[in-house]
Amino acid sequence: MKKRFGFALSLMLATGMLLSACGGQGGDNAGGKDTFSVAMVTDVGGIDDKSFNQSAWEGLQKFGKDNGMKKGRGGYDYLQSSSDADYATNLNKLVRSDFDVIYGIGYLMGDAVKEVAEQNPKKHFAIVDTVVDEPNVASITFKEHEGSFLVGVVAGLTTKTNKIGFIGGMEIPLIEKFESGFRAGVKAVNPNAKVEVQYAGAFDQADKGKAIASSMYASGIDVIYHAAGGTGNGVFSEAKDLKKKDPNREIWVIGVDKDQAPEGVVKVDGKTYNVTLTSMVKRVDVAVYDVAKRSKEGDFPGGKTLEYGLPENGVGIAPTQDNIKPEVLKAVDEWKQKIIKGEVKVPMTRKEYKQFEASLK
Amino acid sequence: MKLSELKKFFVSASSAFVVPVLAVLLGMIVGAVVMIASGYNPLAGYSSLLYGAFGDPYYIGETIRQTTPYILAGLAVAFAFRTGLFNIGVEGQLIVGWLAAVWVGVSFELPKAIHLPLAILAAALAGALWAFIPGILKAYLRVHEVIITIMMNYIALHMTNAIIRSVLSEEGFKSKQVHESASLRSEFLESITYHSSVHYGIIIAIIGAVIMWFLLEKTTKGFELRAVGFNQHASQYAGMNVKANIILSMAISGAFAGIAGAMEGLGTFGNISVKAGFTGVGFDGIAVALIGGNNAFGILLSALLFGALKVGALEMPSSAGVPTELVDIIIALIIFFVASSYVIRLLLSRLKKGAE
Amino acid sequence: MSVYEVLQVIIPSAIFFAAPLIFTALGGVFSERSGVVNIGLEGLMIIGAFVSIVFNLTFADTFGALTPWLALLAAMIVGTIFSLLHAVASISFRADQVVSGVAINFLALGLSLFLVKKMYGKGQTNQIQIGFDKIDVPILSDIPVIGPLFFSNTYVPSYLAIILAFVAWYVIYKTPFGLRLRAVGEHPMAADTMGINVTKMRYIAVMISGALGGIGGAVYATIISRDFSHATISGHGFMALAAMIFGKWHPIGAMGAALFFGLAQSLSIVGKTIPFLKNVPTVYLLIAPYVLTILALAGFIGRAEAPKASGIPYIKGKR
Repeated sequence: MKKRFGFALSLMLATGMLLSACGGQGGDNAGGKDTFSVAMVTDVGGIDDKSFNQSAWEGLQKFGKDNGMKKGRGGYDYLQSSSDADYATNLNKLVRSDFDVIYGIGYLMGDAVKEVAEQNPKKHFAIVDTVVDEPNVASITFKEHEGSFLVGVVAGLTTKTNKIGFIGGMEIPLIEKFESGFRAGVKAVNPNAKVEVQYAGAFDQADKGKAIASSMYASGIDVIYHAAGGTGNGVFSEAKDLKKKDPNREIWVIGVDKDQAPEGVVKVDGKTYNVTLTSMVKRVDVAVYDVAKRSKEGDFPGGKTLEYGLPENGVGIAPTQDNIKPEVLKAVDEWKQKIIKGEVKVPMTRKEYKQFEASLK
Repeated sequence: MKLSELKKFFVSASSAFVVPVLAVLLGMIVGAVVMIASGYNPLAGYSSLLYGAFGDPYYIGETIRQTTPYILAGLAVAFAFRTGLFNIGVEGQLIVGWLAAVWVGVSFELPKAIHLPLAILAAALAGALWAFIPGILKAYLRVHEVIITIMMNYIALHMTNAIIRSVLSEEGFKSKQVHESASLRSEFLESITYHSSVHYGIIIAIIGAVIMWFLLEKTTKGFELRAVGFNQHASQYAGMNVKANIILSMAISGAFAGIAGAMEGLGTFGNISVKAGFTGVGFDGIAVALIGGNNAFGILLSALLFGALKVGALEMPSSAGVPTELVDIIIALIIFFVASSYVIRLLLSRLKKGAE
Repeated sequence: MSVYEVLQVIIPSAIFFAAPLIFTALGGVFSERSGVVNIGLEGLMIIGAFVSIVFNLTFADTFGALTPWLALLAAMIVGTIFSLLHAVASISFRADQVVSGVAINFLALGLSLFLVKKMYGKGQTNQIQIGFDKIDVPILSDIPVIGPLFFSNTYVPSYLAIILAFVAWYVIYKTPFGLRLRAVGEHPMAADTMGINVTKMRYIAVMISGALGGIGGAVYATIISRDFSHATISGHGFMALAAMIFGKWHPIGAMGAALFFGLAQSLSIVGKTIPFLKNVPTVYLLIAPYVLTILALAGFIGRAEAPKASGIPYIKGKR
């Protein structure tokens, strides 16, 4: 067995060298480059995981269309990572392809972006969901806690049982932002409501999400906010199944990252219901577009941390608002203004939430 | 050696070479068919694959870097296989090894000559411990190691995440960087490969392969382990302590896996972050081990094959427009064909007979 | 919540959690009983999930309420065809069965995601509109005490899984086919001399595992996740493999193991709400199901022997 592979691989290596010598269509300097170009590297979700990777790509696509760019080198493009070891490699590929702004999507890419940025000080990078302290990196973060506060307001004012649930994916600081902001919003408008918090431990275990939702709905909870990615599918399926069984039961799901109204559609005996109360949208597409636009205009925000919150419409409640009562919408607006004016400081961590809770008494 | 004997050797050796090469080629041909059927140019596809793996020092560096944990994971699986056990828990053993290595790397400040080996040793011990549990359950209670190791994988994942969150990190999702004295990175290596992440781990991996070969082929203990793997009853009858050997074997296998984790922690990343899922290295290691014929040298080469495929695959979308999913299909096809080398040999012998 | 109310949540949860695992584990039992190791259960589930969702999305308007059932059928057929790859590689080409299984997993994931992108232009399908409803089994759910626990708020396919386990038991242990199957797995040479076509038996067994694995994935996708993406089937095939081994390669055992696992998972989830356990760090509850399984194995199940000829290609005429 030993010798076989030796031969096999030396053959491969030789062929490789030959082909690359002739073909050489790797990643460097193909064609003249005076067009502005942008590209992104996704994390392991891929560009269409219905959450922020897809949102970021939509932002780039819009930018590309608005500026007459084509997909590919010299225009707008993306590279997909299948494991975290791929981040740095993909970023470097985009560097070689001479893209003007290179985005790393997701907090896990922080280290890779930092490293590649250090190695290429003349290139421009952007990172989403964390801060990288380099003069050539623009850090894009969102105030998910503020958006979650608003959906918390909706939940607190809509619940009839005063029992609300929160299902998180992994217990990481990012998701704790969603949790803390949400609980604050609920408490602010409905001091009697109790929020039960449970983490599934993963973003891709829909059966766990369904089991947690089942337990929560059975205990009397009537609104569940999920920040759990693919695990959240289970929450929707449980809510829809329960609704189908008893259309008169009022149960709701609050979606996350994108408007998840399509996920909540359920037909019972010819009538169409929707269990999606609202969603906390995170406009990654807006942020990505914004940074690309600024860079094209020569104002690349290198070294700066851009926080997209309520005033910039970086986060907020979803545009589909059929299920929200008008007076609740009004309340949401009032709180939104209060937060923007700075009258309310929304907690980002569990510690800050405890302080917030205490301050309400 | 007589001339006729020499001739015979070359004939058999060359047919032994031809078969796996043919297998890889067959896999690539079917992959090319899939590419054509989907509207992509297979020549562009494959040349970008090769370029992406070996086309310039950066890519060669990345390929070597990717190969390193594959070698160790393959050794781990193969060692267990040779001694009659199926270690599907390399994934979990790797993660705890990674954690241990980073923990040592972050917590102490020692001269490099001590710190680095200490961190790697910690990783080996952690991995060994993680495999020790299924080992002892198998030895004494005859519980099947596959199911225990699958469970241990999940336990490792959750436990490591929790430890990173509560003990090791300030930001809540990743640890600090390991100190320079425990790092496998090297400015020199990076400078000759245009800043790839290649690190000295490859040397450790190769040493690991030599150690495995030596252990299994040249020591009495290795002989014992292999004997137990072949036939437990006969070995027991011959006076070998089967239980102890099973445990030892799993522990050594786990140690290799733990060191694979150390490679990632001390070399590729320099830290550890919470993981949303398994790394995949453990599962790939199974294929690496089996394609490498469960022996050290074969594993070195099959790990290189895998490393090259994985790194080269990243180039295909940008250079040839081939989506990454198609690459996974092609890799699967190559694995199928390499694993089916028997039938290729059959075809070859039929062809030979036809020609006579 | 009272203990009874807690059980009313845990048991239906455990049942829907276990159902996909039961189907797939049964498939594994058939395959391995005939002597073919099948690590590719994950890939078979992926294919089943993919086919069922695509079928459902495409034909929901045509078939209405019948759609999810036909989708299961489609998943079964495609799963069977897909498993032929493993069968041909392992049986006729004498490939290493573990490697072939690993390749099946890669292939299934890559192929299904590739096709989703090609067909829908994005990496995730839409949600299906017509799934299986939560039902209360008529009559049975009215039985006091047991009714609300075992026959309420459940799905029909879950019961099918349990019934199938018994059917499989009957087939494997009480029919001539089953006897031949087991013979081929334990001692193929003897079976061969008795006139049993080893190759044919193994092909059939692997195809059955493809069919059942496909149904398992389809049931998961239709009931639990309602769409298909790379995150749909993530490790469930391996859990089914574990259930098969836990159940000692016996269909009822595999079913019991899957149910045990579902129960452990539901317990850990409900556990969070019990005041006593509220402050236990999440990680303990997350690993509880796995630790419980190990303890159960160590304490009660013990020795597990795979069919003797499992994993070894059968070569006619070789001693």
